[in-house]
Amino acid sequence: MLQTSLDPLPMKGPELGVQADDIEPPEIEQEPKQEVLENKDVVVQRVHIDGLGRTKEDLLTYEIAGVFRAKNLIDVMRKSHEARQKLLRLGIFRKVNVVIDTSRGEDALPNGLDVTFEVTELRRMTGSYNTMVGNNEGSMVLGLKLPNVFGRAEKLTFQFSYGTKETSYGLSFFKPQPGNFERNFSVNVYKVTGQFPWSSLRETDRGVSAEFSFPVWRTSQTLKWEGVWRELSCLARTASFAVRQESGHSLKSSLSHAMVIDTRNSSILPRQGGLLKIHQVSVYISDPHLNLVPTPLTDVLSASLWGGLLLPIGDKPTSIADRFYLGGPTSIRGFSMYSLGPQSEGDYLGGEAYWAGGLHLYTPLPFRPGRGGFGDLFRTHFFLNAGNLCNLNYGEGPQAHLKKLAECIRWSYGLGIVLRLGNIARLELNYCIPMGVQSGDRICDGVQFGAGIRFL
Amino acid sequence: MSQIAAAEPWPENATLYQPLKEDQILLSDCASSLAVQAYLRMCGLPVQVVCRVNAEYMSPSGKIPFIHVGNQVVSELGPIVQFTKAKGHSLSEALDDVQRAEMKAYMELVNNMLLTAELYIQWCDDATATEISRPRYSSPYSWPLSSILAYQKQWEVRRKMNAIGWGGKTLEQVYEDVSQCCQALSQRLGTQPYFFNKHPTELDALVFGHLFTILTTRLTSAELAERIKSYSNLLSFCRRIEQTYFEDKHSVLPSFIPSL
Repeated sequence: MLQTSLDPLPMKGPELGVQADDIEPPEIEQEPKQEVLENKDVVVQRVHIDGLGRTKEDLLTYEIAGVFRAKNLIDVMRKSHEARQKLLRLGIFRKVNVVIDTSRGEDALPNGLDVTFEVTELRRMTGSYNTMVGNNEGSMVLGLKLPNVFGRAEKLTFQFSYGTKETSYGLSFFKPQPGNFERNFSVNVYKVTGQFPWSSLRETDRGVSAEFSFPVWRTSQTLKWEGVWRELSCLARTASFAVRQESGHSLKSSLSHAMVIDTRNSSILPRQGGLLKIHQVSVYISDPHLNLVPTPLTDVLSASLWGGLLLPIGDKPTSIADRFYLGGPTSIRGFSMYSLGPQSEGDYLGGEAYWAGGLHLYTPLPFRPGRGGFGDLFRTHFFLNAGNLCNLNYGEGPQAHLKKLAECIRWSYGLGIVLRLGNIARLELNYCIPMGVQSGDRICDGVQFGAGIRFL
Repeated sequence: MSQIAAAEPWPENATLYQPLKEDQILLSDCASSLAVQAYLRMCGLPVQVVCRVNAEYMSPSGKIPFIHVGNQVVSELGPIVQFTKAKGHSLSEALDDVQRAEMKAYMELVNNMLLTAELYIQWCDDATATEISRPRYSSPYSWPLSSILAYQKQWEVRRKMNAIGWGGKTLEQVYEDVSQCCQALSQRLGTQPYFFNKHPTELDALVFGHLFTILTTRLTSAELAERIKSYSNLLSFCRRIEQTYFEDKHSVLPSFIPSL
C-alpha cells in the first residue's frame, strides 16, 4: 500500500539490527526502488471527492480534470497539488487533503491509482467582526458571508460598517463561471457615507454596480457599470460658499475598465515583482500605478507614480466629488490630509489633474530587534514624495496644462517607521520635511502618523 | 456673528437664491421668496435674484429663500429681518412694544395658517400633488432620482402635517381656515394703507408675499384664490404694494389678475 501526503516522504527500508555488514545492502536496495517509482508509468483510474455537502459536482470536475492526464507518479503528485490549489482558490473549502492510493476493485489495473480529495466545506454562513483602518478613519465592520450559496461557488456578502465618522453598508453577490474561476461577475448594492473635513463636505452615495472580470493572456480585465445616487452637503455652517454651491443630489452613471498585471509577492510590503494597473472610467482616465522591481537582499527600493486627469463631457463643470485630492500621510507626506491645491476659505476643492511620485528605501530596523518574529513586521523607510494638483483651463492647450503641472511642485522628504498589519493595512510614523509649499496648502511638518491601505 | 455683520455695509452684490422660477418652484417657496424680496425692497436694499436647481440644499436650514451677503448666508424671513436690523435697517423701529407684539402675533398667524395651508394643498391633496407638485419638484432631475426625491419630499411634508394635527383635515376645512385667517387680516388692515398705518413693516411684506402668490398661481382648483378675492381691501393692499415696490423693469412678478 502506498500512502503519501503532499510532501513526498522518503521510502523506509526494512529495519535491521545494527551490523556493519548488513547496513549497506538495504541502501542499495532502496535506491533502485526510488528510481522505479519515479519513472513508473501509472494510470489514474478514479478521482473522488469526499466530503461534499451542498457543492455541486459539476463545478469541481473542471478543477480536478488535470489529474487524469498524469503519466507517472511524480506527475500525479504535482497535478494533484495543482488541483488542490485550484479547489482552494474557489473559496468554498476550509481544508483539502489529497490521498493517492493504488486502485482496488475488479477493474483495477496493476499500475492504476485512485486519487481522493478529502474536502471540508466552509460553513453555510459565517459572521465576522473586524476593525478596519481606512485613510485616517477607524471603523467597526460586521460582516456576514454566505460562501457557496447555491453550490457552485457563488458568494453572498453583507457588510455593515460603523465608523468614527459615518455608517455604511453593502450587499454583494459573486458568481464565477464553473470551470473558469477567473471569469466571474459580481453585483453590488451599497450605501456609503463619508466625511471630508478638508473640504467641509459630506457625501452619501447609494449605488448599484455590476462587474465582469475575465482573463486575457496574462492580464486580468474588468468591466464595470455603476449607477450612483450621490448626495452632497456641507459638513459645517462655516463651509465656504464654493462648497455650498455643490450641495444637492445628482445621479452618476459610469462605465469603467481596468487592467491589472500583478506579479508582486505581497501587496503591502512587496519584495519582488511589480503591479501595473490601468483604470479608465467613461469620463476620466486615472491612476496608472507603477511599482518597480526592488534591489535584492533585505533592502527594498520602491518607486511609485500616480496620475489622473478629469475631462468633463460638454460644458458642465466637474463636481467636487469627482475631482482628485492630494496630500496627507498616504500620498504626499508632510502635508495635511488632502490639503493641497485649489481651495476656498480653507475648504479644499480638489483638482482636475494631478501627478504624484514617491521614492522609498525600506530597510529593516536598525540593530534588527525581534528578528524572525515581531520585528519583521517593521521597516524603517526613507522617502521622497513629490506631486502637484491643479485645475485645467480648457481654453489653453495641453502644453499649458503640462507647464502648469510642472510649476510650483510640492515635495517632501523624511524618514520613518512602517508597520505592516496583516496583509491589509499599514501604519506609518514619519518625520517629514515639506518643501515647495504654496500659499493655501496646509502642512504637517515634523512627526506625522498615517494609517491606511493605499500609500504613495 | 451679529457684530461682524453690523460692521460691514450692505454690499452691491447681495444675492437671493431660490429654485427655478419657470419649472421648479412651488407655491409655498414662491410665497416665502416673494415675502423676502418685498421686505428688502421696502428697506431699500438691492438684491439680485438667482435661480438654482439645488437652492433648497444649498440653504443652511434647508428652507427657501436664503441670501448671500458678503460672506454670510442667512435663510428665511425671520433671521433675515434680524440680520438687516444688525446692519441698521429696520422697518419696525417706530413701533412701540405693544404694536411689535401684535405684529409678531400676526406673522405667526400667517405662518401657521397660510403657509401650512399652502403646504397642505401642495402635498397632501392627491390631485395637486400628482398633477403639479411632484412633476415640478422633480423636473430638474433624471429618472429614477426624480421619483425618489419627489416622493421623499411628499412623505416628509405629510409626516409633518400629521405631527401638527393637520393630517386629518379635509380640503374644505383647510379652505375654511384660510378664509378665517384672511378675515382676521382684513379686519386688522381695515382701510389703512398698511397694517401699521403709514409705513410698511415685515408683516406687510409677509402677507403680500403669500396673498399675491396665491392669487397669481394656477392650481388645480381656483377655490383658494376665490376665498382671498372676497376681501377687497386685501386685494387693493396687494395691488398697492406691487405698484409701489415692484414697478421697475427688474420686477418679474406674474401679471396680477384683479377680478372682483
